[in-house]
Amino acid sequence: MSPLTDTRKRELRRELESIVGQAAVLSDPDELMVYESDGLTLFRALADFVVFPTSAQHVSAVVKLANRENLPFVARGAGTGLSGGCLPTEGGIVISMMRMNRVLEVDYENQIAVVEPGLVNLHLSWKVGPRGYYYAPDPSSQQACTIGGNIANNSGGPHTLKYGVTTNHVLGLEVVMPDGEIVWLGGKTREACGYDLAGVFVGSEGTFGIATRIVVRILKKPQAVKTVLAVFDAIDQASAAVSAIIARGLVPAAMEMIDRLTIQAVEDAFNCGYPRDADAALLIELDGLAVGMDTQAEHIVAACRESGAREVRTARSEAERQLLWKGRKSAFGAYGRVSPAYMVMDGVIPRTKLPYVLRRVNEIVAAAGLRVGNVFHAGDGNLHPNILYDPRKPGEEARVVAAGAEIMKVCAQVGGSISGEHGIGLEKADFMPFIFSAADLALMHRLKSAFNVSGLCNPGKIFPTKKSCVEVGPVAYRPHAIEEKGLAQRF
Amino acid sequence: MDTTTHAAPPAAAGPLSLHGLSVEGVNQCVHCGLCLAYCPTFSELGTEMDSPRGRIFMIKSLAEGRMSLSDSTVRHLSLCLDCRACETVCPAGVPYGRLIEAAKAEIERDRPGALGRRLFRWLNFGLLLGHPRLLGLAASGARFYQASGLQRLVRKSGLVRLLPGTLPAWEALLPPVPAKAERTAPPRVTPAEGPRRARVALLTGCVQSVIFAAHNRATARVLAKNGCEVIVPDGQGCCGALNAHGGDHERALAMARKTIDAFESARADAVVVNTSGCGAHMKAYGHLLAADRGYAERAKRFAASVRDLAEFLAQEPLRGSLSSVPLTCTYHDPCHVAHGQKIKSEPRTLLAQIPGLRVVELAESDWCCGSAGIYNLTEPEMATRLLHRKVSHVLATGAEAVVTANPGCILQIQAGLGAHGSAVRVLHLVEILDRAYGGPGGAQ
Amino acid sequence: MPDALLDKLRAAVGAANLLTGVELSPYVVEGRTPEAAVFPGSIEEVAVVMALASQVGRSVTPWGGGTAASVGMPAPRAGLIMGLRRLGRLLDHEPGDLTATVEAGMTVAALQTALGSRGQWLSLDPADADRATIGGVLATNACGPRRHLYGTARDLLIGVTVVTADGSIVKGGGKVVKNVAGYDLPKLFIGSYGTLGVIVEATVKLRPLPGQEELVCVRFDRLKDAGAAVRAIAASDLLPNAVELLDGAAAAGAGLAAGSPTPGGLLVVGFDGVREQVDWQRAELARLTGPLGGRDVRPLEVAAWARLTPAARAAFGATAAVMALAVLPSQVAETMEQGAGIARGRGLQSAWAAHAGVGVVRGAVASDPAPTDPAALAAVLAEWREMARAGGGHANLEWAPLVVKSQVPVWDDPGAAGRIMERIKAQLDPRNILNPGRFVAGI
Ligand SMILES: Cc1cc2nc3c(=O)[nH]c(=O)nc-3n(C[C@H](O)[C@H](O)[C@H](O)COP(=O)(O)OP(=O)(O)OC[C@H]3O[C@@H](n4cnc5c(N)ncnc54)[C@H](O)[C@@H]3O)c2cc1C
Ligand code: SF4
Ligand code: SF4
Repeated sequence: MSPLTDTRKRELRRELESIVGQAAVLSDPDELMVYESDGLTLFRALADFVVFPTSAQHVSAVVKLANRENLPFVARGAGTGLSGGCLPTEGGIVISMMRMNRVLEVDYENQIAVVEPGLVNLHLSWKVGPRGYYYAPDPSSQQACTIGGNIANNSGGPHTLKYGVTTNHVLGLEVVMPDGEIVWLGGKTREACGYDLAGVFVGSEGTFGIATRIVVRILKKPQAVKTVLAVFDAIDQASAAVSAIIARGLVPAAMEMIDRLTIQAVEDAFNCGYPRDADAALLIELDGLAVGMDTQAEHIVAACRESGAREVRTARSEAERQLLWKGRKSAFGAYGRVSPAYMVMDGVIPRTKLPYVLRRVNEIVAAAGLRVGNVFHAGDGNLHPNILYDPRKPGEEARVVAAGAEIMKVCAQVGGSISGEHGIGLEKADFMPFIFSAADLALMHRLKSAFNVSGLCNPGKIFPTKKSCVEVGPVAYRPHAIEEKGLAQRF
Repeated sequence: MDTTTHAAPPAAAGPLSLHGLSVEGVNQCVHCGLCLAYCPTFSELGTEMDSPRGRIFMIKSLAEGRMSLSDSTVRHLSLCLDCRACETVCPAGVPYGRLIEAAKAEIERDRPGALGRRLFRWLNFGLLLGHPRLLGLAASGARFYQASGLQRLVRKSGLVRLLPGTLPAWEALLPPVPAKAERTAPPRVTPAEGPRRARVALLTGCVQSVIFAAHNRATARVLAKNGCEVIVPDGQGCCGALNAHGGDHERALAMARKTIDAFESARADAVVVNTSGCGAHMKAYGHLLAADRGYAERAKRFAASVRDLAEFLAQEPLRGSLSSVPLTCTYHDPCHVAHGQKIKSEPRTLLAQIPGLRVVELAESDWCCGSAGIYNLTEPEMATRLLHRKVSHVLATGAEAVVTANPGCILQIQAGLGAHGSAVRVLHLVEILDRAYGGPGGAQ
Repeated sequence: MPDALLDKLRAAVGAANLLTGVELSPYVVEGRTPEAAVFPGSIEEVAVVMALASQVGRSVTPWGGGTAASVGMPAPRAGLIMGLRRLGRLLDHEPGDLTATVEAGMTVAALQTALGSRGQWLSLDPADADRATIGGVLATNACGPRRHLYGTARDLLIGVTVVTADGSIVKGGGKVVKNVAGYDLPKLFIGSYGTLGVIVEATVKLRPLPGQEELVCVRFDRLKDAGAAVRAIAASDLLPNAVELLDGAAAAGAGLAAGSPTPGGLLVVGFDGVREQVDWQRAELARLTGPLGGRDVRPLEVAAWARLTPAARAAFGATAAVMALAVLPSQVAETMEQGAGIARGRGLQSAWAAHAGVGVVRGAVASDPAPTDPAALAAVLAEWREMARAGGGHANLEWAPLVVKSQVPVWDDPGAAGRIMERIKAQLDPRNILNPGRFVAGI
């Protein structure tokens, strides 16, 4: 809890008000409590203040104040993060970017836009859509998450398969450094001058500073789009279809898999047209030139059929296509219909290992006496097993966390990663040693020290233990809470 | 590593409720945040407490006893428009409307008047809405106030600012009350024209019957053109929607029972409603009266027979011959049609059948205009911000008229456009339909 | 260099893999001879060599194919060359995963041949592919025309193993195509010119080889019109994999200016895909460029691809300097014209070629027939840089003799971000032994 006395808090509140204005500071305990979690409710932390800046100058002044007071601070976007990334683990100031949400400039000729970080991802595509453009990174949360949060987590989405993740679309950023200085990293041109600091900043989960302006690429909408739904009676067949498509030399724009439990949840939610009795469905999208598209689609259909698809159909209208995507993108939320809570995993594996890993996931979850729904970016091998549980049932939460750790180990064992797009944050910090050595982590820590000299910017994230790695060097081992409880072991 | 730095929510403690009303629905919320950017108050303020997710969290915390009804909690809950945009987008199916009604009832119990509506409630809910005759009298008064030039005087002199509390905002919105002759209800029975399609009962509403009686008469005519025998049951009053949204749960129940009583006797195939808030509310009678032994079953049956006018008409192509309405219009989705009843394509389908009419889409067409029942009176600041937003979208379409389907929206948007000095008119969907059928003197 | 150290190095890599004395002549850069060159045969050996160098504070220059050895400032003190040619294996290629892991010393050409035999490729096409190694290409962020569609190393590198200044073996990223665990170390090392660590292994994303590929050129009388064509292509439905713009001199240098007179501008566009896609795009290109003054649309031979990136430099028998300017794509033609004007104003001849669709422009100054006046040259280069900066871009001196480099800074000023770069360098290489002084901001 906060070390600040009530008097000190009042004084600081007044100072913060003098920076951002009276209506832009929260310190009421009830209001602060509403900010205790992001999209992952397993973790909770209370801030001393939440502030709502409207300019880089505001952010800079707040950060300088935090430095003076030795108070930690953390940026928060929409709070849809799934790893506890924006939680004020050690109290201090939450800097909400939600009032910095303008599109500052759109340069259609050079296909770039300059935006503020609080802009909702989808709103950029809405803005440039009428002129035939869009912003390619499309996390399933794009209707709510912010571009600032996206750059922090290097978010991906279904179309990442062809178009890459956020980092492939960011050219430059204006950043308030952890000491309050305002600096540009990268710019509007395609080449960096010196080290690729913009590239390094993206994906740093808010620990390198706070982005206040972002230069992103916008793309021309493709001339043609074709969306294919392939339905399977066995999930292994769907996995095989993914490989068969790649083997034919095709890289679709997106290739998403949805399993039975998930299909049922999204059908309950929006009636999107997925067959309820299927074991798995693949949603495959092709885009690009109109010529040649039919030939490619035929290849896709053939590959699916060869792999045992019982039905393969193409969306006949834009409305049908949108509805299929709505189902896919609403999947996480739709679990609310079948379970009061879920924990989403974010492992990545080489896609050739899909059948094996999916089997292991099901075994692990079943052994824990829980249910799992799978909906994921099959083309990228980015799995999202969603373990369903009821937080009100004693002991279930711990079983979920343990099963999650097991699944992450399996991903690591097959040469994969513990996070494909949601970030390490608080949730997976103690699992970093699954895939990184002490030397790897030490180097990352050195890099962090170059940006975040005082360590006040979003502390407690990414690195395995909270205090021990402040010194550079081999990272001291400290057991994760769940290990202490005997629920998981490190290997 | 601990997963929390402070008191965790208590584990299982039985079903959650507020003011005796179940709020178990909060457990459906998985905190995904997908609703955030669709919530008008969150979009304006950017504060989590003014978002659906935040409000659900507060309601949950209240029910769990983790939070108390502090000033700030009350403040954020009362700032909710009850527009239910969040319900439409929520993939988890959180029944938000029910949750906020329970929360408002709890607030009302805990600190009567906290919602800042006491005066208004006394004036309106208790007295007027429950007593159509009194409402008529009040309307005459209001009309005198307007017609006599008193209104202009009060506005000009600045006297308006001396009126108590939220009254100034109210005053500005006071609709032009039609003269008595124009306030007459439709006939008790209007015979069907052409091949008979159904026997329908029409809700003539409360505020509606005074200010927009013409819409009711038009509705009866349009339904008749479409093969319906239209009944206007006696003894109907207000459906109780405003009371329910305002936290006045007890009176809302009484009004619901009375409405059911009045309509059951009409033995109609469907109850047709042309005001969105009433339609949405009446469709929820089953839930509202679920605990009432005497009414539970009847309420369910009744609710199942309720149809929004557009929903009812769009089941078939419009009948009869339609004349051209040469106009460019745009359509504003009233919250309780689009979100409360999930009716979005039907009104557009109807408009598309009218010859000569050009319909252009409105940006954020299903965003609340700020009227939201009595919200524009109790939360004038937020209401004004949202109205502003709506009006600028309307002006951007270049349309000559905004078509919508709710008296509150009509008054609000018309006032907003007026304040912008715009000549764009706001029409009820049924007015356009009626015009295409030739209006009161409609031939054939 | 003390014999004791040489002995230790020999012990680490084997006597045959340590060069000294006259054997070092291929490693002389700007007249500076290193103390020794070591060629470790494994990552562990690289680590041992680094640790030894670090102990005695000897500077280390990682060396792949040596194709970019003269870029940047030479090290102020002699030191070790860390040659990576023995680390030349393709370690892993799983076609089903579209990934490959390769040692840093493998040449790009060798890698492409191996991948190609299984129908895939690394979509990176730097110049000098026969000599350039993967490690060097990553360290210099080299790329070619196809970056227009396929991006640069930063879009393709998914995992990297590096030996840091203290001799630790460190990896960042991983072997999967999508990964956000930990900081994005691959980005840090791309384009870092060997100043932060020695790249020893890389895992990259691959693509299936396209069925067809074709390079098409369109002649314009005026460069300006060709610039308009570049913008028209960007706004169209075309999906070219390369959009190059050359002025007359560069077109001649690349051997593409067939016919007379020499064109004011030559637009070169690449297409790939299935046959019908290539055909449709070629026709569409002709339709788009015709009204803008484009003529003589014709396909080019395959060999022309490799001549595009170095076209500006190849324009003259002897070149005084080459500058690479990063500008907005819409400013490319204007930059080329204005840049040529600046040179002419000082009595110098220049040639220009650009990856036009992405705004990377190269200008070369001729030093024939007469050697260029150094003062005029320096002034021209400084003005070019100003021109790039004025449009929000920047410019680096890609090649120039040392005399010029000592007058015109090789690297543009990174501004306030330079301080962060200095801190990164200080954190990762506290004793400043990796390519000291070669890079931006004196790093
Ligand atoms: C239903 C659902 C579906 C999802 N689908 C996907 C998906 O398909 N792909 C995917 O990648 N993710 C997905 N996510 C995760 C999440 O939406 C993304 O991580 C998103 O980028 C978070 O954005 P946010 O605005 O909510 O950020 P927050 O959660 O508020 O913050 C995330 C991180 O960003 C930092 N941050 C925020 N703003 C700034 C700033 N201006 N400068 C620096 N740091 C900042 C915070 O400190 C924190 O570390 C999903 C989440 C949900 C709930
Ligand atoms: S209300 Fe629905 S959409 Fe909003 S956070 Fe809860 S589950 Fe998600
Ligand atoms: S009902 Fe409307 S105002 Fe209230 S939380 Fe939902 S979207 Fe927001």
